[in-house]
Amino acid sequence: MSRPFPYTYISCPCADTPVPDPARKRRSRESSQKSPQKPPPERANIDEKDSTKEEYQGEDEDEEQTFDPRSPRSNFSLYPPEQLLYCEECHQIKCPRCITEEIVSWYCPSCLFETPSSMVRSDGNRCGRNCFNCPICTAPLSVSSVDTTGNAKGPWVLSCGYCLWTSLDIGIKFDKYTNVRSQLQKMTDSTPPPAFDRSRQASRTFGDLKHPLSSFASVDEQSNAREREEASAPQEDPAAPPMGADARFAALKNFYRTQISETSNSPSDHLSSEFGFSSPGALNRLMSLYTSSARLSGLYGGSKKPKSKPPVMREALTASEGLQLAQETSEAETISRLHSPECGWDGVASIEQRATQSPDARFTSDLLPLPVLLRTKRAKRCKSCKHILVKPESKPQSTRFRIRLIALSYIPLPTLRPLALSSSSALPAASPTPDLNALPPLRPIHVLLTLKNHMFDPVRITLATPPVTPGDVATKFEIGANSDVWDEALQGTSTPLSSESRSAALRGVPEAGKVWDKGRNWTTVVLEVVPSTLPGSSAEGGKGDSSGTGTEAAAEAAEAADEHVVAVAKSRQDLDVLEIPVFVHMDWDAEAQLDQNVGKGSKAEEKVTRELAYWMVLGVGRIQPSL
Amino acid sequence: MASEAPSMGASKRTSTTPSLRNSQAARPASPHTPQARSGTYPSSTSPGSSFRNEDDAIIFEIGARWLRAGFEGHSAPTCVVGFGPEQSRRAGDYRGWIQGSIGDGRLPQPVDVEEWTRAYELWRSDSREIDLGLVEDKIERAFRETYNQFLLTDAGTSRLVLVLPSLMPHPLLSSLLSTLFSRWRFPSITLLSSAAMSATAAGLRSALVVDIGWAETTATAIYEYREITTKRTTRSMKHLMQEMGLLLTGLASDGDHDAKVTDKISVGFSYCEEVVSRFAWCKSRSEDDTAADENDQTLSIPSPANPCQEYTDVPFSRLAESVDKVLFAPDIAEHELDDEEKTLPLLVYNTLLSLFPDTRGTCMSRIVFVGGGARIPGLRRRVLKEVSLLIDRHGWSPVRGKALERQRQRLEELRLSTRKPSTEPEPPKSNEEAPSTDEKPADPSKEVPEIDFVEQKLRRQNKDIPVPIQGVLREVESLGPWAGASLTTSLKIRGMVEIEREKFLQYGLAGATRDMDHVPDRRSGLRSGGDRSSWTLAGWA
Repeated sequence: MSRPFPYTYISCPCADTPVPDPARKRRSRESSQKSPQKPPPERANIDEKDSTKEEYQGEDEDEEQTFDPRSPRSNFSLYPPEQLLYCEECHQIKCPRCITEEIVSWYCPSCLFETPSSMVRSDGNRCGRNCFNCPICTAPLSVSSVDTTGNAKGPWVLSCGYCLWTSLDIGIKFDKYTNVRSQLQKMTDSTPPPAFDRSRQASRTFGDLKHPLSSFASVDEQSNAREREEASAPQEDPAAPPMGADARFAALKNFYRTQISETSNSPSDHLSSEFGFSSPGALNRLMSLYTSSARLSGLYGGSKKPKSKPPVMREALTASEGLQLAQETSEAETISRLHSPECGWDGVASIEQRATQSPDARFTSDLLPLPVLLRTKRAKRCKSCKHILVKPESKPQSTRFRIRLIALSYIPLPTLRPLALSSSSALPAASPTPDLNALPPLRPIHVLLTLKNHMFDPVRITLATPPVTPGDVATKFEIGANSDVWDEALQGTSTPLSSESRSAALRGVPEAGKVWDKGRNWTTVVLEVVPSTLPGSSAEGGKGDSSGTGTEAAAEAAEAADEHVVAVAKSRQDLDVLEIPVFVHMDWDAEAQLDQNVGKGSKAEEKVTRELAYWMVLGVGRIQPSL
Repeated sequence: MASEAPSMGASKRTSTTPSLRNSQAARPASPHTPQARSGTYPSSTSPGSSFRNEDDAIIFEIGARWLRAGFEGHSAPTCVVGFGPEQSRRAGDYRGWIQGSIGDGRLPQPVDVEEWTRAYELWRSDSREIDLGLVEDKIERAFRETYNQFLLTDAGTSRLVLVLPSLMPHPLLSSLLSTLFSRWRFPSITLLSSAAMSATAAGLRSALVVDIGWAETTATAIYEYREITTKRTTRSMKHLMQEMGLLLTGLASDGDHDAKVTDKISVGFSYCEEVVSRFAWCKSRSEDDTAADENDQTLSIPSPANPCQEYTDVPFSRLAESVDKVLFAPDIAEHELDDEEKTLPLLVYNTLLSLFPDTRGTCMSRIVFVGGGARIPGLRRRVLKEVSLLIDRHGWSPVRGKALERQRQRLEELRLSTRKPSTEPEPPKSNEEAPSTDEKPADPSKEVPEIDFVEQKLRRQNKDIPVPIQGVLREVESLGPWAGASLTTSLKIRGMVEIEREKFLQYGLAGATRDMDHVPDRRSGLRSGGDRSSWTLAGWA
C-alpha cells in the first residue's frame, strides 16, 4: 500500500493463533458441559453469547478461513519480508509480535553517546547532554551564541535551524554551552513559586548523579530546605500563582507520605514513613481506605469500629499540601489570550507539540526545548523457545549484529514485477509496462512473481490463492524448487533448464501458470491478474483473475489453475488497491539438526523434511476508478 | 465525616501548623539513615544511582482515544499515544510521513459522523460494535511501541498498573488483560479506577469527579476513596468533535445550510481535532453580555477546505457554538432530554442530588474536572455556574413540575388559613447551603440540621483542625488520573484489584470468584494485602 507497487508482504503465522483467553475457554467449556455450578444469571448470559460466538469462530476456523488482506486486522500481521525474523529452533517465522525484546544499551541518536542503564531513568529517558529538539518543529536544536560577532562568548541559546525558533523566544539563556540540560532543568524547575521543593529536588538529582557519595551532603541540604520551608510557610497566601504540575505532585506526595506515617500506629517507626505500612493493622486499614470500588463501599462502613480510635488521614488543605483550587480568573484569562490577535492559530500549541510537554502547556510560549529521546538497541528472543534471534553489538556507533536470523535467509524472497507486455504483443521490450498505479479494470495483466531461495537446500513450493468467490474451487499447484546455491556456484554451471525455459518464454506467449524463467536459485512464475471493477457505488465485487503455474526442476508436471480474487469492498482509503493473498507452502529436506555442525561437505544421512506455510500478500497495483 | 475527625493525630500535634511541615522538621532530629526516598523526584523515580529499583511499576492509563504511560512517582506520563489510523498502518507503510496524516486534509467524500470517528477509537463502550481481535492487535502494538520508544525498559519485567474507567465491559477487560498477560510476562497487573485516582491527585478523599471523556461524560461521587454513585451522559468530546466537524464542513462548503442537512463530515478528523483542542472555548453564560462584543472578532484558522495552504477567518464566537450546543444544549428543555443525554450541569446536579446530604455537602465543594473536555477554557466555570443556578432554582428536591406547583399553591392556601403551625416545622436553613427560594416547600434533605451536641463536642475537640469546607460549590484542580495512580503506586499502596499472572492465565476473569456479597469486607481486604490467594474484580465485577 504504502510502498511503491508492486510489493509483497508476508503475514506472520502467529496471527492465526489468537490470544488465548482463559476466561473464554473456560466459559465455553462450562457452558458446553452444562456444569452443575451455575454461574450467576447475568454472567450466564454473557457466557452463552460468548460461547455462541466461539462456536461461530470455531466454524470459521474449520473452514480454513483464508487470509483477507483487507480486513483491518491484517494490518497488524503483515510485514515486509525483510522485517521478519526466523527462529531456528521452532522453524517458524517470527514477527515483532512473537518475539520478546531485551534492551542491550541506551544511546542518544543525536550524539551517539551511550547512556548507562543507571542514568536512563533519572534522565527521564532523554539525552542528558546538549541534544535538544525544537519544541515547535522537532528539528534538532543547536547551541549558539547570542553574540554574533564571532568570538564564542556567552550567553548561549538553543536555536532551531529549521523554523528559526530560539530559546530566547521563551526567555531562556545559558551561561555555559555545556551541560545545557542541567542548566535548563534548574531554570525551569525554580521558576514555579514554591521553589524550594523543585530546586532542591533538581539539584539533588543532579548532585546524586555526579557524586554517588553525596548522600551526606543531601541530608544537610534537606534540613536546610526544611528550614527554608518553615520560614516560607507562614507567608503562604492563597493568591499565589498556582504551582506547576511537578511541584504540586511533589507537594501531594509529601503530604500523603506524612499522612500515612502519622496515621500508622507506630509513628516512631521510620519504615512506616518509607513504605507506608509496617503493621498488619495499618496495612489492612490502608487497603480498605484505598479501595475504590462502589461495590465494596458497604464493607468498610459495615465493619465494627476499631477499639482504639486510629488517627484518620485527612485531605490536603493548603496549597503547600498540594491542594489547588480552581482560579476564578484563569479560564477567562485563557480565553482572552486565545482570542487576542497576537495569539492566532500558531500561538497555540498543537496536539503533537503538547504530547511530550507538560500537561499544562497550552500556548507555544509554554513549550520547552525537548531533550532528545534516547533509543535502545535490543536483543530479540523467540517468545516461545527463548532462542536469541537478534543480538546487536552494544556500541551505539556500530551497526553490526552478533546474531541476526532474518527470515529472508530461510524463506524465499518474493518479488513481483509486471510483465512488460500485454497478452497480445510479442516483444517484451517494446511494449510499455502497465501503469501499476492505474490499472484498467477487467483487462488482464501479467505479473511475474519471482521467488528467490537463500537456503542451501532446494525447496519445493506450492502456491495457492484463496477461492474467495463462491463456486470456485481452490486448486493448488506446485512450482519449481530452487537448487542449491553453493553447489551451483561451485560447479560453475548454469542449469540448462533455466536457459531453456527462458528462451521458451521469450519465444512464446506468457502462459499463465507456467514458469517464466528460472535461475540458479530463483524461479519466476507468471500470474495473470484481471483487476476487478471498483465497487464504486454498487457493492458488487469484481473478480481478479490470477493464475500461475510452475514446473519443478525435477521436471514434475505442474498443474495450471485459475483463481479468482475478489476485490472485497473496503470502506477505507485503500479500496482500490489490488492485493492478492497467496498461500505459500514450502517444504524442503534439511539436514538433521545434529548434523548441522559437521559441515555441509559431509553428506548427512538423515534428512529431515521441514515445511513452512504462510500467507503472502502481493500488492499488484491500484485499480483505475473507471474504464 | 471521617476526614473531619482525625482526633488522635490532632492530639499528638501541639501546634496548629499543618502536619506536613511539623513532621518533616521532626524527622531529621533523630539519627537515622539518610532518607533517600523521602523526597520526591519529579523527573525521576529511581533514588539516584545508588541502587536500581527494578520494581518501579509502570502505569498505563487507557482510554478510548489515548494511552498514557510512564513510571510510578513521576508527575506526568512519559508519553501520550493515540489510537488512530496512523497507528493502525502496516509495518513498513510510511505514507503518514510522506503525505501527512490521513485526517489532515479534506476527505475525498463526506463521511457519516459515526464513521468519521470510528477509526480513531480503540473501543466503544458498546461491546457489540467492537472487534475484540482488532482491539487486541491495537493494544499489543501500542504497548510494544510505547515500551520500545518511550519507556525504554524491558516490557513485562515489572509490575503493571492500569488506570481504567470503573465501568468496562467484561469482554473488553478480559481481552485487554489476556493480551497483556499472554504477550509479556507481567508478574501482576493492578487495576485502579480512574475516578478515585483523580480525586487522589487532587489531594482529596471525597470528590465529585466529572470526567469529560470521549464517548461519555461521567460524574462520579467519591467518598473516602469509594465510588458512591456514577451518572453518565453521552454529551462528550466525541459529540463535540462531530459537531465541530459539521460546523467546519459547513464553513468549507459555502452553501452553509445544505451541508448541514446531509449530516456528513468532509473535513479531516485530525484537522478538526486540532481546531477543537486549540480554539474550542466556552462562553461564560449562554448568549448574554459577552456574545455581542465578541461577534466581530475573527480568528484566522487554516481553511477547512484546504487546511494545508489557506487560512480562513472565523468569528471567534462561532468556535464556542458547538461547545454550547453539545455540552449545554441551551435550546432544549430539560424534560425533552433523555436520561442518557442530560447536559453537563444537569449531570452534576443530578449526581449530587442522588447523594446522601452529608456526602453531598462534602462532594459539592470538591468538584474535580478531568478528561479532555476539562481543558476547554471556560467550560468548568460555566458548569459550576449553571449548577449553582439549578440549586438556586430547585434546591435539593427531585420533585418538581406542574403538579407540584398546584399542590404547593393548595398548601399555600392552606397556610394562609393556618399560618402559625405551618411555618414552625420548617427547619432553619443552613448558612452555608445555597439559599433556597422561599416559595419552595421545606425539604428536609436539603437542610443541615442545627449543630447538635455531638457535633458541638466534636468541633470543640478539633478546634485546631480546620473544618473541612462543606456545602458550597467549589472546584478543585486535579493532576489527573495518571498522576493519581503514580502517587498511589509510589506510596506503595496496593490496589484492591491485583491480578496475578498465574491465576489469570489459569482461569481468566472467571478466576475472580470471591463472592463479594458473602465474604466479609475485612477479610477480602486482608486477603488482598496478605497471601493474595484469590483476587477479585472489585469495582470492575
